[in-house]
Order: sequence, then structure tokens, then C-alpha cells
Amino acid sequence: MPSTTRGRRATRALVPAAAALTASALALAGCAAAETPAGDESLTVLFISSHEGAANWFVEHYEEETGVTINPVIVPYDQIGSQLALDQSSGANTIDVAAPWYVSLGDLAAQGAIQDLTEWIDGNDALDVDDFIPSIYEPYSLYEGRRYGVPFDGDTHVLFYNTEILERNGFTAPPTTWDEYLQQVTTITANEGADGVYGAAVFGQKSPLILGASFANRLAGFGGEFLDADGNPVINSPEAVAAAQALVDINGVALPTPAETEFGAGNTAWLAGKVGFIENWTDLGVRSEDPTSGSEVAGKWGVTLLPVGGSNTTPRASLVAGFSWVIAANTQKTELARDFVEYAASSEVNAALLTASPPTGIDPNRVSSLEDSTYGSDFPEIQEVNRATLTGALAWPTGEHATELAQILTDELAKLLAGEGGTAQETLDRVQAEWEAILAG
Amino acid sequence: MSPRRSPSRGVARAHRLFAAPAVLALVVLGAYPLVFVVLAAFSESKLGAPFRDWVGTANFEKLLADGDATASFLRVVVYALAVAAVSVVIGVAVALALHRSVRSGALVRTLLLLPMITPPVVVAILWKLVYNPAGGLLNTLAGLFGYRGEPISVLAQPAWAMTGVAIADVWEWTPIITLLVFAALLGQDPELREAAALDGAHGWRLFRSITLPAVAGTIAAAFLVRLVLAFKVFDLVFVLTTGGPGTSTTVPAFLVWQQAIQQFDLGIAATTTLLLAVVVTVVTLPVVALTRRFHRDATA
Repeated sequence: MPSTTRGRRATRALVPAAAALTASALALAGCAAAETPAGDESLTVLFISSHEGAANWFVEHYEEETGVTINPVIVPYDQIGSQLALDQSSGANTIDVAAPWYVSLGDLAAQGAIQDLTEWIDGNDALDVDDFIPSIYEPYSLYEGRRYGVPFDGDTHVLFYNTEILERNGFTAPPTTWDEYLQQVTTITANEGADGVYGAAVFGQKSPLILGASFANRLAGFGGEFLDADGNPVINSPEAVAAAQALVDINGVALPTPAETEFGAGNTAWLAGKVGFIENWTDLGVRSEDPTSGSEVAGKWGVTLLPVGGSNTTPRASLVAGFSWVIAANTQKTELARDFVEYAASSEVNAALLTASPPTGIDPNRVSSLEDSTYGSDFPEIQEVNRATLTGALAWPTGEHATELAQILTDELAKLLAGEGGTAQETLDRVQAEWEAILAG
Repeated sequence: MSPRRSPSRGVARAHRLFAAPAVLALVVLGAYPLVFVVLAAFSESKLGAPFRDWVGTANFEKLLADGDATASFLRVVVYALAVAAVSVVIGVAVALALHRSVRSGALVRTLLLLPMITPPVVVAILWKLVYNPAGGLLNTLAGLFGYRGEPISVLAQPAWAMTGVAIADVWEWTPIITLLVFAALLGQDPELREAAALDGAHGWRLFRSITLPAVAGTIAAAFLVRLVLAFKVFDLVFVLTTGGPGTSTTVPAFLVWQQAIQQFDLGIAATTTLLLAVVVTVVTLPVVALTRRFHRDATA
């Protein structure tokens, strides 16, 4: 037999053998990953980096109280959903519990990455779901009529202001409308911009949780919605256009530059006393008073509700971020995971996290924790503005494709701010058309 | 069984055994990802649930109808060609200067490696600090030279943001060109240069007629490597601009990340990847041909 023919035959024989070997190795690896050692009293919990303080709190307190070890896995805030989805779809199944952005619940549920918790929640009185703030509970848990999550971090935006900067510039009170806000920011930047002090830090980096949040704050203030009551997009409504225009107007007078301003840059400028205003989560107040945060604004700040605009005169909370507890679809420790979620979502734990030091980055998700006496005595102003969630709040869409909708809106807003998108109306007309196409399936 | 055939069977088995790692590597590293990407591109695939439905060319139609996506392909072609060209010009110039001044260059070679061995994310953070309009190095230097205007915001200007990314990219990867060309210069036959010099060739003439033909193949190969590296730019864009302002720095690699990781749409991400592969192939084919020609000429 000629050697070349022999070689070809050998190759032909080798390919299936190699494929079988690879498949066997992968299957064995998969089995190994799925197995749970008997008596393993530990849980792997996926957190975003902003929740690292809370993760450390759980590591310390949960083992102390239950004997169960928490192994936290910390990932960037915009990658928690994909990390969980990949972990489950790849068969690695290393994650038991996660706290993703509530907007991704629908996508994660549709991909089969998280468990349907409806029966467990309905049959578990200890969860006391009636105590969850209603405007938070529904979007943070529901997808197509089923419950997939339990609220963890309330995360509403409010307006922080530096009292010294306002006073220096002749303002005795913070703004109540977005027009007043623009005027005060413009004045401060004109007066002190040369000294490195600006009217406001505006989160404008191209990310749904950053630029999208700044837009959502204004949309809430102008009384707009993302979707109407029937779930149809209304993102090019007059209120939404006014909200986008308000972003354009503030772009040139804010801390340079909004397009580069993400959480780190904005919060650093605020804590250094370099900006008059910042829209942020209520936990920034806790950090502003915390000496370990390097804050130079301790005792020099105030907080108020987000301004209103247009014909709307009622301030409304904006659920720009917000995170829910979910249980990974393929965990072998469902009971242990449920016990943890029940504990972590309890009123006592939420109240403890609100005032913990070092700060945990957690906002109220329950009526009882919002009204907690320690929270009220330590941070009365923050408690007051957080009560806005009790009377309704603007939430992002949460169904399947919700993350894509958020990204499309963010990309178009970024183009608008960069001068690439035409007018605010034209920008949002494009978003409306894309949203309609996606939601129509 | 024929006793005469036993040795050849043993040899065949040995051949199979020795070939097995290579076949495995090909299957795992080459064929599997390629097949996965192709299948994903023609299906409705989510990050957590790939291959949900066969959709034919729907993903390609959707992507090609997206003006921002098609613009990102054009953008990365211009970016890659420009960055590769600038890197080669600077890299060759530095290599020639080094060759004239430090023939051994061990210390210089080590120093040149620094930008390349620095993780790209760290490089991006470093340049973000340089460009920071609120007290960054660029604005501080501008202030020292008497600039008193609005803060310079390189990364916030659609017209300049891509240039800002390109400068960081050139800084990071030009040393690889320098090192390759420097090594080629060291490998030159010194007698040839001396003979040309004796015949009166100096300066530009010596470079054009003697040095350049000798290292042209290396320069072309370095250009090819640099071109491919520039097409893959992601880390710098991710950290410096997140694709903005607007879409001015959105390149396909960033788009793939956004589609797959942010929007869970593996199908569209795979389609973008395939189209990027086509674009890279089309752009690099002439460079590959040029590289071969230079090498052929140099060895002729």
C-alpha cells in the first residue's frame, strides 16, 4: 500500500477518534462540574462590582448566622447577565445565585438561564412580598406573568447638590424643574469653570446604565413613559423628546465631558467637591458622609427629588438601575439558594445594608426598610427622597429583548449628543421605529 | 496476520499517535469555533440559548441594513490602514536610528518591549488619564504653553476621538515593528553596505538601493501583522470611548461585544464576526502578495 494512501486512511480513522475523544473529555468535564460534593454548604453568588461592599457583608454575616459559606464572584456591572447566561449555557454551572440588572430578567428567563420562582414565592409567607415597594417589586420580579426575581437593590436616582457651591453662586435652594437646573448649572460653570468647578456631573458615557439613566431621569421628570399600558413603545412622545432635548442642553455646560463621564469620573468629581449637582443613587449620600470614601463633601451636601419638566408637576422616582436576586437554572443547590435569597431579600437585611459601614451600595426595596428608624435617624433627607418610590416610579421595559431596546435607545442618544443624530425628535423617531419592529417580533 | 506487515502497522499506529495532538488542536482551536460561528450566523442564537431557530440569511440582511454597523466596517478599514502605515513609518525610522547608534541594543530592545508587554487595558487607562479634560497630561501641558481656552477633550470630539484611540494604539504596537526591522537590519551583510559606501552611496541613496531592498520583506510582514492587530482593536475603544462619542469610534470588534454580551444576540454577533473576517481577508490579501514578492526579490 502506498504510504500516502495509508496516511489518508490513518487521517480518516483519526478524525472521528479525535472527535470522540474530545467529546468524551468535554462530557466528563461537564459531569464533573455538575456534581455537588455531599454536604457542601456553600453558595457561589454573582455580584456586580458596585455591590462588592454588600458581597463582603454577606460573606461575613451569612456564614455567621447559618454556617453556609458565600463565595462571591464580582464582575463589572454591565457583564453580570452575560456571565450568568454563559455559565449556564456552557454547562459550567458554577453560579448558584446572581443579582443581575432587573431589565435583563426577561432575556435571562427566555434563555433558560434562571429559575421560575413563582410557586416558591407564592407559597412562602416568610418572603412577605406585600412589604416590597410595589413600584419596585413588579418590574424587579415579573416576566410574562411569572416571577423570576426577588428585589435586592432598589436603586432610584435623586439629585444631590453641593450646598457650598450653590451658596457661592447665589442659590438658596436646589432646582425643582429641569429648566431651573439648567440655569443653575450654567451659572456655576460660567462662574467657576475656569477654577475646575462645574455646575454638574452628567453621566453620558454610552451605556444603558449611564447615559440611559440620565435620559430616564428626565423622562420621569417630564412625565413620560418608555411603553404605554399595553406595552407599545411611546419613546417619541413630546415628553420623551423634551427629556432628550434637556440632555442636549446640559451637554455643553456640565463637567467636561458628559460623553466621557461614567460612574468613576462623576462620583470622583462629586466627592472632591468639584461639581454642584449629580444625579445618583441614594446610597451616594452614605458614601458622601463616609470618611473612608475620601469624601471632601461631608456635611456640605443636600439631596432632593429629581426635577420635573413640561406640564408635569409631580416628582417621580426613576428606577434606572436596580438589581434582583435570581437563582441559576442549573444549580444543584436550589434549596440552599432559596434560603439565601429569602434571607438576603428580608427587611432586616435590607435595612442593615442601607446604613452599613463601609457602604454597601444598596437602596431600599421594602416599605419597612425604607421606614427603618436607624436609616431615618442617620440619613433623614435620603429617606425622605426615597419615599418617592412609594407613589410610583418609572421603570425600564423588562421583557425579552429589553436589553436590546435599552442599547438601541442609548446608542441613538449618544449620536444625538455627538451631533450625529439630527434633532431630538428625529432621534427618538428612529428609536420608536426600531422598538416597534423588535416588539412586533 | 502476515508477520511481514506488522512493522508497517506499528509505524502507522505511531504516525496516528504523533498526528493526534495536531488533529485535536485543529479541531478544537480551528474547526470548532469556525463551524460554531457559521452556524450561529445563520440561526437565531442567544448567548444562553444558541441555535434556537434556522433563519437563513436574515442576520446578514439585518446587519447590512444597519447603517451604523456598515459604517463601523468602513471605519475600521480606514483606521487599520492608517494606524498600520503610521506604525511602520515610525517603527522603521526608529529602527534605522537605533541601528546607527546602538548596534547591540539589548537595553533598547528591553525598553521597547515595555509598551507591548503592558496589558492593553492598562495602556487605555494610561491614555485616558493623558486625555482627561479635567487635569489630564495633555491639558496640563497645553496650560504650561499658555493655552487658556476650553479644556481640550480629544475623546469627546467625534472628529478627534478615533485619532485619540489611534495614537494610543500606535504607541502600544509600534515597538513590534521597530524590533522586527531592527533585527532584519542586524542581519544585513555589512560587506554589501561597505562596498556601496565605497562606491559613493550615502544617506537616502544607500537606504533606498541597499538597505530597503534587504529589509523590505520584513517591513511588509510587519505591516501585515500590524494591520491585523489594528483590525482587532477592542480594548482601547472599550476603555477610552465605549464606541462614542456617538458612533465615531464604534468598530466591529466593539460591536460584536455589544451584540453578544450586552444584547445576548449571538446570531448577529457571529454575523458581524464573519463579515469582519471577510473584510480583513480582502484588505490583507494584497499585503500578503506584496510580502511574498518582497521576500522572493530579497532571496533572488
